[in-house]
Amino acid sequence: MYDTKRQWKAWLYLLPMLVLLAVFTIWPIINTVRMSMLEKYQALAAAGGKTFEVSFYNFKDVLSYNKFLTCLKNTMILCVVTVPVSSILALLIAVFLNSIRPLKRVLQTIFFLPYVTNSIAIGMVFAAMFNIVGSFHGTPNQIIETAGIINNMLGVFGIEPINWINPGSTYGANITVLVIYIVWNALPFKILILLGGLQGINKQYYDAAKVDGTPRKRIFTRITVPLLSPMIAYVVITGFIGGFKEYTSIVGIFGEDMGPAGASKRLNTMVGFIYDALENGRQGRASAAALILFAIILVVTLINLYVSKKRVHY
Amino acid sequence: MKKFLSTILAVLMLLTTAIGFAACTPGPGPNPGPSAEPNFDVPAEGYDGSEVTIKFYHTMGSNLTDVLNRYIPLFNELYPNITIVHEQVGGYDDVRDQISTEITEGTQPNIAYCYPDHVAMYNLAGVVTTLDNLIDSEIVVTRADDTTEVLGLTAAQKADFIEGYYNEGKQFGDNLMYTMPFSKSTEVLYYNKTFFDANGLTVPTTWDEMEALCAAIKLLDPTSIPLGYDSEANWFITMCEQYGSGYTSATGDHFIFDNDTNKAFVKEIREWYQAGYLTTQEIYGAYTSTLFVSTEGTKSYMSIGSSAGATHQRPAQDTNGNYPFEVGIAPIPQLNPDDPKAISQGPSVCIFQKENPQEVVASWLFVKFLTTSVEFQAEFSMASGYVPVLKSVADNAIYKAFVDAANGGSHISALSAKVCLEQQESYYVSPAFNGSSTARDQVGLLLQTCLTTVLSGGQTVDDLIDSAFQDAVDECEYSAG
Amino acid sequence: MKIDTMHELNVQDVSNKQKVGKIIVTTLLYVFLIFMAIIVLFPFYWMINSSLKSIGEYLLPVPTFWPHRILFVNYIDAFKTANLGRLFLNTVYVGVVSTLLSLVITILSAFAFARLEFKGKNVLFACLLATMMIPGELFTITNYGTVNDLGWMNTYTVLIVPFLVSIFYIYLLRQNFKQIPNELYLAAKVDGTSDLKYLIKVMIPLALPTLISITILKMMGAWNSYIWPRLVARDIDHTLITVGLRNAFTIDPAIGYVNYPQQMAAVVIVSAPLFLVFIFLRKYIMKGVSRSGIKG
Repeated sequence: MYDTKRQWKAWLYLLPMLVLLAVFTIWPIINTVRMSMLEKYQALAAAGGKTFEVSFYNFKDVLSYNKFLTCLKNTMILCVVTVPVSSILALLIAVFLNSIRPLKRVLQTIFFLPYVTNSIAIGMVFAAMFNIVGSFHGTPNQIIETAGIINNMLGVFGIEPINWINPGSTYGANITVLVIYIVWNALPFKILILLGGLQGINKQYYDAAKVDGTPRKRIFTRITVPLLSPMIAYVVITGFIGGFKEYTSIVGIFGEDMGPAGASKRLNTMVGFIYDALENGRQGRASAAALILFAIILVVTLINLYVSKKRVHY
Repeated sequence: MKKFLSTILAVLMLLTTAIGFAACTPGPGPNPGPSAEPNFDVPAEGYDGSEVTIKFYHTMGSNLTDVLNRYIPLFNELYPNITIVHEQVGGYDDVRDQISTEITEGTQPNIAYCYPDHVAMYNLAGVVTTLDNLIDSEIVVTRADDTTEVLGLTAAQKADFIEGYYNEGKQFGDNLMYTMPFSKSTEVLYYNKTFFDANGLTVPTTWDEMEALCAAIKLLDPTSIPLGYDSEANWFITMCEQYGSGYTSATGDHFIFDNDTNKAFVKEIREWYQAGYLTTQEIYGAYTSTLFVSTEGTKSYMSIGSSAGATHQRPAQDTNGNYPFEVGIAPIPQLNPDDPKAISQGPSVCIFQKENPQEVVASWLFVKFLTTSVEFQAEFSMASGYVPVLKSVADNAIYKAFVDAANGGSHISALSAKVCLEQQESYYVSPAFNGSSTARDQVGLLLQTCLTTVLSGGQTVDDLIDSAFQDAVDECEYSAG
Repeated sequence: MKIDTMHELNVQDVSNKQKVGKIIVTTLLYVFLIFMAIIVLFPFYWMINSSLKSIGEYLLPVPTFWPHRILFVNYIDAFKTANLGRLFLNTVYVGVVSTLLSLVITILSAFAFARLEFKGKNVLFACLLATMMIPGELFTITNYGTVNDLGWMNTYTVLIVPFLVSIFYIYLLRQNFKQIPNELYLAAKVDGTSDLKYLIKVMIPLALPTLISITILKMMGAWNSYIWPRLVARDIDHTLITVGLRNAFTIDPAIGYVNYPQQMAAVVIVSAPLFLVFIFLRKYIMKGVSRSGIKG
């Protein structure tokens, strides 16, 4: 059936890709599983000739560690809050954009702008907007040079300056800033996908609905949302996958300490946990954590798929 | 959808295969590890004159490499076949990271700047040469100028080292010598002498005096931050040492800092912070020296930082070349001025194991050359602001002249060196073991947390401190486990 | 805010009453969209506004919405402080080289999957797609060791080679290649044109829009990459722009605070190239992104 010479040629075309894949993708998968199964594996100790027992110790070690649970909690909170908020906002904006004519292109371009930004760089802008320049935050002797633009705008409504990200700030304030930033950052992609989906919906459905005199609310819930459901499922699933890998937006705002001074690592995430373990030379722990992250993403994706299978209309 | 699910299935199969591979991986060989026996036997001929290249990693800036580059030719007059290649890798952490990755490929340098916890880390791979056999060696080596030297250290050379510094090489729990002291520093108190003199303030020698002084400065300048303490970790560790309350132990239960005495002083420092008396590097967001030297905005009148950083604690000259204020330097405050304690910092050097023992012996000859040379130690100290590790440097004419010219402006490094030399009996070091650097990081974080956290929901200061200590201990134990 | 109004405009016969309702609804709709647009734009505005202020003005208790005195000098200082010239050069070099190599690999592989027949093609392709599910961190752990063993630390190689293969791009291009009618290929075969010649002469020009999308996304990737470069290339000769930017601004000894205006100026400088690319190549970016789901 296959011509041997042509087969050989096909593999030649694939060769560069396969070599790189073998070294930087396949071997890492095998090696990660290997390291995760070697009790307390450390590359440095391995270089010194130490042997390691095969066990599930690393997994138990990581799962029973309270800081890992903090990372897991932060990741979950960010996912559970930002994905629905950004998806609903994006849906509203997309539907509205689709129904207007003047200014449509301009607005569409504006809404896409956050996509072409560097998440560390803009994170620094958000940090500057929420930052209180001063010392002794939250003590009776607080010195405030400037409370920042956000606090000043809230001040117009009579709200006292809130310590968002400085030393002594609360976890809730920190998370609020992160949620605002992540939603802001996630909107453009979602709007783009949903708008693309809306433009693909056949006008006949709406015309038919109009002839029947269907109320607009019903048009939205019975026509727009169902026909858009594959796109909605797509942005939700990719949103969750992206949410579980959240890391750089936190670095952008809080720096590599992953939290305000005095509460460093408070906002650490799963990905941050993996890198910490890696930087401490604990490759066994890092591997186990990476596999756990993979398993969580897999499970969440499967649940998402299962739900959308029941709900999504193709 | 079907495709997606089959994809997932394929991933699962891939993983199963991978687990299969893992199970088949053959175990590596036996583990030599660090032992209680010296790990290097000196070759019978000592250094045989063979050509070797020695790689030396350090953190020296260009002003210091200038000094080093002047002394390498002098060394090569004695040993022309030993080529010294040195490289500034970055900061101390960069040196550590670079070497620990190089160890896994076996390409580590021959000599490196090190801190004790770096050595504890390298010892995981058992690659740091113990120096005991080299130090004790009585083999006579002939040099290129036909003079000879004993390979080891003579009794006089040993005695010339400041004892505390020399003994730092043996703090790894097995009484073997792993490092040689290279140059040292400690923490000192920098103060705005102009401001102090103008307001009739006296330099504090105890923490009680410090507290009263901060309160007085706050009255004089309510928007100031009277004191900046650069290193949270050093502060915690030094307080443990001053109280004798225990920080870490090289043997047995490593992390002994979770005790009531320590909690009490942390609580006291929190009160000072809450009163607006002080800040630290992490809380302030930068070296507190930047606050100390600033002449606009928020001011600070005292700064506790490394004696080697004296030039950073001096304000910038104005257009006429004058300093806006004069800096004074004093030892840090104490709990008991009769039994002073100040941390000993600064780099030591260690020598790495190599297949060719001649490389190790040649490395030792170079290390010995640098650490026992009064002239080098004097010049290096003058250029760096570090203090020499040899007692006899103090008698060196050039160094003496340097120290005598000390002042709080143009010769601030000399002033800092002078203060260090006057308190040589106060220096302490804390034990090094695998996990000691985590303990250091954790107590620093603990202090930040206890100072800055705003109490909420019925939480008391003691609750906060208890849980911060517990967290730090947990973290240390997790890291060591 | 009502959400059932989107097809208002299409309604043909409207009574006066409905007309009034329609105007109100459309107005509300614009209010919402413009309000959201302002929120989206605000950080950009604030970044530019701050970057032009003096530090004294920046620290005013009540911030000014436009600088009293515009200080372009912040940009020059930021460029120097953060060593942006060097960072730009590094990033552009890594971006260009990795994009070119990546395109070659992607084109060859996509062609093999789209046009050539060989045993196990579909199984292999499914396996490749499967690897896209795995979080990148899992690869990083081992790759960190691998590049170390290869002696690649602090080189350009380490920033380029490990990420040359993107299954997603191969997938994207394969789909595009498949849309090209088979007849063209068969005709070329009859004429005795070699596969490679056909690929270069026919398929690449036809798939150009997709290739441009891939190029832009890959360049954006280099511009935004942070985690991997931070791990493996920390010396100044190989620092990429994002890593350099995050670590460049600490407190300025002259003023006792971070020089925020300068920091914001650096952020503007770093963001500007992306905006320029976006303005000129908007179509390709949006097209590429709408098919992707990954950033960069």
